Amino acid sequence: MPPSIHPVDLIIALRQKHLTPAIVFLTSRRACDEAMESFEHTQSFLPPARQEMIGKVLRAVIDQYPSIAEHPLIPTVQRIGVAAHHAGHLPSWKIAVEELMRNGCLDAVFATTTLAAGVDFPARTVVITQSSIRKARDFTDLTIGEVQQIAGRAGRRGKDLVGFAIVTPSPYIDLTVLTKGLTGHPEAINSQFVISYPMVLNLLKAHPLDQIQPILAKSFAQFQLNQRAEVLERKLDELHRQLEPYGPRVCTDWISQWQLFDHVRRQRTHRTPVRRNEPPEVAARFHFLTPGRVAGLSKSRGVVLRQYRSKGQKSPMVTLLRHGGAITECPAAIVTEVFDHMLDCAEAPVYPWCTPESIESMLRDLEELPPRLPVLPILVPKDELIPDSIVQTLGDFSCPTCPSRSACQKDHAHASKLRQEQHRHTKAIQALRTSLWHRFQEKIDALQRFGYLSPTAHLTDTGEWARLIRIDHSLLITELVRADAFTGASPALLAAVMSSIAHDDDRPGAFPRISTGLASLLAQVRKLAESLSPYEDPPLLRADIAAITEQWIGDPTLTWIGLCKKTTMAEGDIYRLLARTLEFLSQLHTLRDTHPALADCASQAIAILRRGVLEELP
Amino acid sequence: MTTDELERLLAQQPLGVLHRLARGRVHRHFRAGKRRLIELLLRHSAENRAGFESDLLALISEREARPAIQPVRHQRSERPKTSQPGHRLHSAQHEPDHHEPAASLAAWLEGIGVPLPQPFVPDPWQEDALAKLQSGDVIVSVPTGSGKTYVAVEAARRAMDENRTVIYTSPLKALSNTKYTEFCRIFGADRVGILTGDRRDNGQAPLLIMTTEILRNLLYDAAGGEIDVRLDTLGLVILDESQYLADPERGVVWEETIIFCPTQARLLLLSASIGNPHDIADWLTSIRSTPCHLIKHSKRTVPLRAGYLHPDGKLTPLFRTIGIPYGHPVHLHPEAKRLFARYEDETMPSGRRR
Ligand SMILES: Nc1ncnc2c1ncn2[C@@H]1O[C@H](COP(=O)(O)OP(=O)(O)OP(=O)(O)O)[C@@H](O)[C@H]1O
Ligand SMILES: [Mg+2]
Repeated sequence: MPPSIHPVDLIIALRQKHLTPAIVFLTSRRACDEAMESFEHTQSFLPPARQEMIGKVLRAVIDQYPSIAEHPLIPTVQRIGVAAHHAGHLPSWKIAVEELMRNGCLDAVFATTTLAAGVDFPARTVVITQSSIRKARDFTDLTIGEVQQIAGRAGRRGKDLVGFAIVTPSPYIDLTVLTKGLTGHPEAINSQFVISYPMVLNLLKAHPLDQIQPILAKSFAQFQLNQRAEVLERKLDELHRQLEPYGPRVCTDWISQWQLFDHVRRQRTHRTPVRRNEPPEVAARFHFLTPGRVAGLSKSRGVVLRQYRSKGQKSPMVTLLRHGGAITECPAAIVTEVFDHMLDCAEAPVYPWCTPESIESMLRDLEELPPRLPVLPILVPKDELIPDSIVQTLGDFSCPTCPSRSACQKDHAHASKLRQEQHRHTKAIQALRTSLWHRFQEKIDALQRFGYLSPTAHLTDTGEWARLIRIDHSLLITELVRADAFTGASPALLAAVMSSIAHDDDRPGAFPRISTGLASLLAQVRKLAESLSPYEDPPLLRADIAAITEQWIGDPTLTWIGLCKKTTMAEGDIYRLLARTLEFLSQLHTLRDTHPALADCASQAIAILRRGVLEELP
Repeated sequence: MTTDELERLLAQQPLGVLHRLARGRVHRHFRAGKRRLIELLLRHSAENRAGFESDLLALISEREARPAIQPVRHQRSERPKTSQPGHRLHSAQHEPDHHEPAASLAAWLEGIGVPLPQPFVPDPWQEDALAKLQSGDVIVSVPTGSGKTYVAVEAARRAMDENRTVIYTSPLKALSNTKYTEFCRIFGADRVGILTGDRRDNGQAPLLIMTTEILRNLLYDAAGGEIDVRLDTLGLVILDESQYLADPERGVVWEETIIFCPTQARLLLLSASIGNPHDIADWLTSIRSTPCHLIKHSKRTVPLRAGYLHPDGKLTPLFRTIGIPYGHPVHLHPEAKRLFARYEDETMPSGRRR
């Protein structure tokens, strides 16, 4: 049995049961393309009348969007009545397929699940072959909401009496995800509020600092945080009630009193035996020194390969991989800083505690780390040990002779647990109420440090124009502008750098070479991006991606087909790259009052960029 | 909570809870073992400790509240590759509720066809949404393909009849383009405009289409004192596909748009089915000057049936019932169950073959 049904057989089965038109959701673009290829040699052609109808609809779309006139899929679409529709295609091609589907010309469309989101594209039947999708470079199970969006494309109002969602297995399918998705209640949605630099600048442009907190309080994020806080408040009330029987006794705060007494009592008996001789900082840090952790040493850096305790003394030890490849065993105390940075470490049970490949890759990563790395904030627990002076004064506690001693002893465990919980909830509630504001203040701090905001949190002259850059990596872009990085750059160079900042996909491919001018500018951008990394995640800054844009803008006679031939990137991806570059450039164009030369360069780039396929749609 | 306490609490949780916590926080969390996962979570928690802790506590209390559900959850988190279909099949046969015989394929396939053409009559919920828009904001949460566009079109028509500007936003440029064509057909090309980052086609038209980001930027400019589009005459803002509010990267733009939306403009949120539309309605009511009405239903207009197609071409209903048994994911059709168990056996990676 093949792992999944052959596309040709699938369509035959659907046609036979009158289940067409159908949308077949496949796991990848490649699967869609292969499905189309598998039809090239079938002999089951559509009757001439239907072929003619498809031709007619296509001609109408081609009139509007000439770029698809020569599309390689057209013959198969017309002869067989099936099409593919995914992110690798041009928008105009997708419009053509949607139009064909709306006119009832097709029996099936092979698509990826990106189609499920918001495109008006219904059919009688939806075929589902997967239970997870790739999100941010990771496969995650479909949510109930997503399964219902996908299945919901089946059954067109006014055209179908019933709709069908058909599951056909492929490797890695989890049927329970799908059955739950089909029968379940969609998940609640949650706020994804993040505070960005442009948000802070634009809010402070329009409102004084003391009005910001009420504005943040209007977010759905705060609404949901409040909901959680209310749940905790109810728990707090309940705890309060439970604590009632444990009110004041001989001492008002008998819980703390007993706790201290008890603690001291225990410590006195255990005071002499072997105590681990490790300062609290080392103990606190030790938790974080796990394999892959980048650690700062007095003169250099290393990566932790394993942590352990020494045999006799049980002192905390780490095995470190250092620059140059030396592997050393050292006491954990030699680590001076724990960085907020991990490298991928494939652990192994024996020396050198990880796989040779992973040593190699970590060494490489270690060399390439930026000079500044964020340090992990580690709380060092205080008061681990009660000072000797208190222990000496054990005699001063009245507990041993107190009349409520037995009651205190009996109730203490429960009462102090309740009280700890009370403290925890109180702290959590406070955090829920103020966390957005704290995050906002962190951004203010950073913007002040860079000079976009004055010490009184007003926009500086720089802040006034910087607030117009409202895209990802805004800090990098405004810092580049401030550093005059683009002075004298050609439109092609400017657009190329913008596209390497805009592009966030790491799919590999073969691409054209870049000019030396672009290479050196990109190196400069990379350096700045790395120095900004504590404040903003650096973009991928792929040189090969920049090269595509450089060629498209640098040579206005280059045709779309010519550009596509220079790379292995899919048409749709090139289109999206250029469209996103356009967005970034148009943001630079808004700086025309303060940076006329740059804005002019950006609008020249926009004018050249928008040609051919990129002119077809708004 | 101190970091130590947090770490200890994390260590006490089953792996499933940690993975749920890691969703959206940690890349590739499925590949991490427990220790590494805790490490990664702790690292991430530094960013928003309060949110993280309360998520964790919420998950813990959720687990405590529903101990009965736990085994099911456990089973779900297993990949089918490692589960034992034979065993699951057996245990499921002891399910109650299986009095009626399972649906036959013929019955399942019955009724396929095209309905007779009928004059267009708006659904009661569509009328209701339009009526409620007279007295406040509206959020519509209904299944895919129900007819939300009709509500958008009629609401836009009414606002334009009162000489008010209407803004329609969608999350995707592709969808904006489709709607642009559609609205031009309905209202005439001179009354519809479209705005993108660098282009403005008929920007003076009473109905403007744009992506939500563009609208957010317009609202920023207006707040900063630079009126661009006629926001003072803005009467209606339609946010289509507003379940994007929960998009990890872009969701914040929907929140900003709603927060900064001028008070005199009505908000119409169109969303696919979501779990907590009440929350959204309550939120809007709490921050806007007029109450927000919720229009919601989960019944599909065109009934949906689910099937299972085996790679050898054999088709069977997926569930015992002809329709989808909402709330009962385990009511699988015996034939679908048998075929899928066989599929899992046959595609088991070599070495694990039983
Ligand atoms: N009252 C009605 N009677 C008959 N058909 C209707 C009615 N309302 C809408 N329709 C039709 O239903 C179909 C789907 O409508 P629409 O695209 O508005 O759905 P939607 O709710 O926006 O779905 P999606 O979630 O995909 O955006 C359209 O073809 C529309 O003409
Ligand atoms: Mg819609």
